[in-house]
Amino acid sequence: MSLFSELRRRNVFKVALLYAVASWLLVWIVGRLVDGVGLSSWVADYVLLLLAIGFPVALIFAWTYEITPAGLQKAVDVDQTQSIVYKTGQKLNAAVAVLAVLGVAAVIGERLLPEFTPPPPLVLEEIPLRPVFDFSAKAEVPREITSFNLPNGLEVIVWPDHDIPNVALYIFVRAGGRNEYPGITGLAHFFEHMMFNGTDSRDVGEFDEEMEAAGGANNAYTSNDVTVYMDWFPRSALETIFELESDRFMNLAIDPDVVETERGAVYSERRSGVDDDNTGRLYEQMMATAYIAHPYQNPVIGWPSDIENWTQDDLESFFKTYYAPNNLTMVLAGDVTPEEIYLLADQYFSPIPRQYPPPEITTVEPEQMGERRFVIETDAQAPLLHVAFHAGATSDPETLHMDLLLAVLAEGDSSRLHRALVEDERLALSVGGFQTDGFDPGLVYFYLTLPPGGDLAATETRLLEELRRVAEEGVTAAELEKARNLRLASFWRGLQTINGKASALGNFEVFTGDYENLFSVPELLAQTDEATLQAVARQVFRRANMTLGVLRAAEPGADQ
Amino acid sequence: MRSLAIIGGLFVASLSWASDVTLPDYERVVLDNGTVLLLAAKHDVPLVGMRAVVRGGSVADPAGKAGVADLLASVIQKGAGNRDAAEFAEAAARVGGNIAATADVETVEITAEFLSRDIDLMIELVADMLMRPTLAEDEVDKERDRAVALIAAAKDSNLAGLMPSYTNAFIFGEHPFGNPTFGSESTLAAITHDDVVQYHADNFGGDRLIIAVAGDVQLDALRARLTTVFGAWEPAAAPLPDIPAPDRAASGRVLLVDKPGAAQTYFWIGNVGVAIDYPRRAELNLANTVFGGRFTSMLMTELRVKSGLTYGARSRVERRSEAGAVTIRSYTETARTVEAIDMAIDILGRLHDRGLNDEMIESARNYIMGQFPPSLETASSLAGMFAFLEQHGLDRTYIDDYGAALAEATPVTVSNAIADVYPQTNDLVFVLIGDADEIREAVAKYGEITEFAITEPRFRPSPTR
Repeated sequence: MSLFSELRRRNVFKVALLYAVASWLLVWIVGRLVDGVGLSSWVADYVLLLLAIGFPVALIFAWTYEITPAGLQKAVDVDQTQSIVYKTGQKLNAAVAVLAVLGVAAVIGERLLPEFTPPPPLVLEEIPLRPVFDFSAKAEVPREITSFNLPNGLEVIVWPDHDIPNVALYIFVRAGGRNEYPGITGLAHFFEHMMFNGTDSRDVGEFDEEMEAAGGANNAYTSNDVTVYMDWFPRSALETIFELESDRFMNLAIDPDVVETERGAVYSERRSGVDDDNTGRLYEQMMATAYIAHPYQNPVIGWPSDIENWTQDDLESFFKTYYAPNNLTMVLAGDVTPEEIYLLADQYFSPIPRQYPPPEITTVEPEQMGERRFVIETDAQAPLLHVAFHAGATSDPETLHMDLLLAVLAEGDSSRLHRALVEDERLALSVGGFQTDGFDPGLVYFYLTLPPGGDLAATETRLLEELRRVAEEGVTAAELEKARNLRLASFWRGLQTINGKASALGNFEVFTGDYENLFSVPELLAQTDEATLQAVARQVFRRANMTLGVLRAAEPGADQ
Repeated sequence: MRSLAIIGGLFVASLSWASDVTLPDYERVVLDNGTVLLLAAKHDVPLVGMRAVVRGGSVADPAGKAGVADLLASVIQKGAGNRDAAEFAEAAARVGGNIAATADVETVEITAEFLSRDIDLMIELVADMLMRPTLAEDEVDKERDRAVALIAAAKDSNLAGLMPSYTNAFIFGEHPFGNPTFGSESTLAAITHDDVVQYHADNFGGDRLIIAVAGDVQLDALRARLTTVFGAWEPAAAPLPDIPAPDRAASGRVLLVDKPGAAQTYFWIGNVGVAIDYPRRAELNLANTVFGGRFTSMLMTELRVKSGLTYGARSRVERRSEAGAVTIRSYTETARTVEAIDMAIDILGRLHDRGLNDEMIESARNYIMGQFPPSLETASSLAGMFAFLEQHGLDRTYIDDYGAALAEATPVTVSNAIADVYPQTNDLVFVLIGDADEIREAVAKYGEITEFAITEPRFRPSPTR
C-alpha cells in the first residue's frame, strides 16, 4: 500500500481540507469582529498563528488516530475489517461542504447587506485643543467635586453644595453656529427650540408641564460653539429631571407640524433681536464681514432664507450627529451626592448609544489682509459704531490677558474709553468691549452708541487713538491691579450660587478641557504683568486686523 | 421608554411640594434718627452685599419734571465726599467692587457688592453718595443730556424697554404712577441743576434710610460702624409724599405709538390692579404663575407654543404701596397683531371663567416654592429682601409663612383673587407700538385711538406734558 493511498484511507487529505476551510471561515469571522466591534487586531494575528501551528498537529492526529465505534484508537491498533474510516470520510466531506457553503454565503451576504455601521470604539475622544494656559500652578480644587464618564462617553461633573435644597443642572452639547454651513444656518439654535417640543411618549409642552409641576424651571441658549440646556429645580425633583432629560435626548420627536409652528417663534425671536434692533443688525453684519471663511460668519439665529428652508432630514441628521452622549458634558451643582448622580446618570443616560464623533471643523480663518469697513443706512436716531479685531480662542493663553486689557479699556465708569469718550469728550453715550468665547479664534469687540447727530468720524479717531496708545505705551501698574481685582471679585461672585458653579465648571471643562482649570484663575491673574497686557494689545490692535461697521440715519438723497 | 415615562409620571404625582422656605436670622436696629439697619452674617464666600434704600423715588419728582430722582441717582455716582467723578469710579473699581444707584417709583436705591476685606471702603462710598454727593452742575448737565439721548437710542432698539413708560402714562394718567421714572425727552429737558439739589435736600435724610448688609461680616463691628456713619444724618427736609389710591383707567382706549416700518407690534393690555398689602397674595401669585408667569403659562402656551405668534407672552401684577398695573405683555409680527391681541383677551376671559383647578394650583405651588430658595441664595439678594420687607412694613412672616399660605389656597379662594385683581375683558386699555399705517384700522375695534409718533419726545398721550 502506497503512502499516498494510506494517507487517503486515513482521511488525512479530507482533514487537511476541512481544516483549511474551517480556518478560512474562522479568520473571516475574526476579521469582521476586528473591523466591526473594535476587537483588537492582535486577536486576529493570534488566531492566525494558532491555526498555523495547529495544521501539522491536526494532520499528524488524523494519521495517528482513527475514529471507531468504540471510540478513538490508534490507527495501527484498529482491525482493518472493522474500520469505519470510509464513513468518517463521508462525514468529513459533508462538514467541508457545509463550511464552504456557509463561508461563501457569508461573503456574498456581506456584499448584499447594507454596510454594517459599527459603533465607535470604547475610548473617549479627546477634544482637540490648542495650547492652553499653564495651569500647573493650580489652586486648591474643592475636594467635594467629582467627575465620571459613562461607558457611552457621557461626561458628568458633580459639585455638591447643600446650602439650599436646590440643584442646577447644565447639559453642554458641543454644537452651535460653528457646526453649520450655508443652507442650515440657525439649525443648532432651532434645535434648541425643538428639544422642548415633544418626544415619542410626550406631546408638545409636556416636558415643561412636568418639570414646572415638580417645581423646576429651565432655559437654554445657543452660541457659536455650544448649545446649553439648564434646569433649576428643588432636590425633590431630581429623578423627574433625569427622566425628562434622558427622554428628550433619547426619543426626541421631530414632528413636521411642530417644526412649522416653531419656525414662527424663531422668526419672532429674530425680528425682536435683529430686524427691529439696530444693535442686533449691526452685530450680524460685523460677524459676516470680519469672517470670510470660518462659520463664525453666520448668525446663530440663522439667515432668514435658511430659517424658512431647512428640512426634516437636516434636523434628523443634526440630532443623530450632535446629540450623542459622547458629545455632551453634564454638570450638576447643588443639594446632591455624587453617588446618587452616578446611579441616576447610569440608569437614565446609559441606554443612549454612542455615535461617531461629529465631523471636525477644520476651516481656519485666514489672516486678515487689510481693514474692512461698511455702513448701514437706516431709520436711526442714535448712530452706532462697532469695531472688532481678530484675537484668540478661549483656551489660548492670550485670552486672559486680553480679558484684563478689556477691563482696563472698557469696563465701568473708570475705564479708559468710558472716561475719554463718554465723560470727558462726550462723543459717545456708552462704550463697551468684550471678546467672543469659542473653540476657534474669536473677536475682540467694541460697541459704541452715539447721541443723535453724534460725530462718527471723531469718535472713531479717538477710539483708535486710545487703542494705539495702549499698544504703544501699555497699562499702568494701578490699572493692572484694578483689572485683576475686578476679575477676582467676579470669580467669587460667580461661585456664590449653585447656578454660577454649574455654569463655571461646565464652561471651563468644555472650552479649556478641564474643569479644574477654573480654580487656577486667581493664581493666573496674579502671574500677569503689564508687559503681557501690552504684548496682546500690540498683537491684536492693528489696522489690517480690524473690521469697522457704522449704522446711521440715511442721508437724504444718498441712494440716488 | 414608555415604562420610564410612567414611572416619572407617578413620581411627579406623589411628589409633595418642596419644604418651606424661611429667611435666615437677621438683626434689626433702629437708630435714633430713624435709620433702620438690617444685618446678617453669611460666610460661604468672601463677599459682602449691601442695599441702601431711600424712601421717596420718582413719585417725589416735581410736576412736569419726571426723571429728577433718576437723574439724582446717576449724579450721586459722579463725585461724592472728597472724590470727583473719576476718583469715585476708580475707588470702587480698584478693589473690584460693584456699586450702583437707581431710582424706582417709591425709592432711590444703592446696591453694592465688595470683597469683604474692603467693607470699610464700601460703607464710606455709600455714605458719601447718600450724604455728601457733589452734585456738580456740569455733571448734572452731562447726565441729563445723556439720559435724553439714551431714550432716543432706545427707540432704535428692542422696544420692550420703553413699554412701561408709555403704559404707565396711559393707565395712570395724572397720578404719580403715570410718570416715567427715568423721565421723557421733554421732562428731562426741563430739569435744572437746582431741581436735582432740591430733590436731594427734600428727599434724602436719615429718617428715609434703610441699610441692609449681608455676607462675610463681623456683626458687632459692622453695627458699630454703621451707627457711627449714619446715626447722625439729619432727616429729609420734606415729608414723604402722600400717594393717593389711583383710579381705574377708563377702558376701551388704545394708545398707538407709530414706528413706521416696524417688523412687529409690541402690545401691553391691562388696567389698575392691587397694592402690596393685598391680603390674598398667595392666591394671586398662584393665579399669575398659571396665567402668564412661567413657560407653561396659559399665555405662553397659546401665543407661542401652539400658534408661533410670538417668542414671549407674560402677565405681570405690580404691587406698590398703592395699586399698580396689571398687564398682559407680548409682541408679534405686524400682520398678526389683531390675531395675537384677540387671543390674549380670550385667554384672560378663560382665566375669569374657569379659574384654576386643584391640579393647576398644585403645579403652581410646587413651581413657586421650588424656585424660591435660589432667589435668596446670595448675600446681596438677602440684603435686598431685608430692605424690601422693611420698606413695605412687612416682617419675616412674609417669607416664612408664604409656604403655608400657598398650601391653603383652593380653587375658590384663587377665583376670588382673580376677580379682585385682573380686569375683565371689557375693562381693558391697550398700548401698542408698531407700524400705525398697517394696523390702525384693525385695532380701532378695541376702542378710541390716541396716536403719536415714537420720535415725539414724550410718553404721555397729551402733548402738553
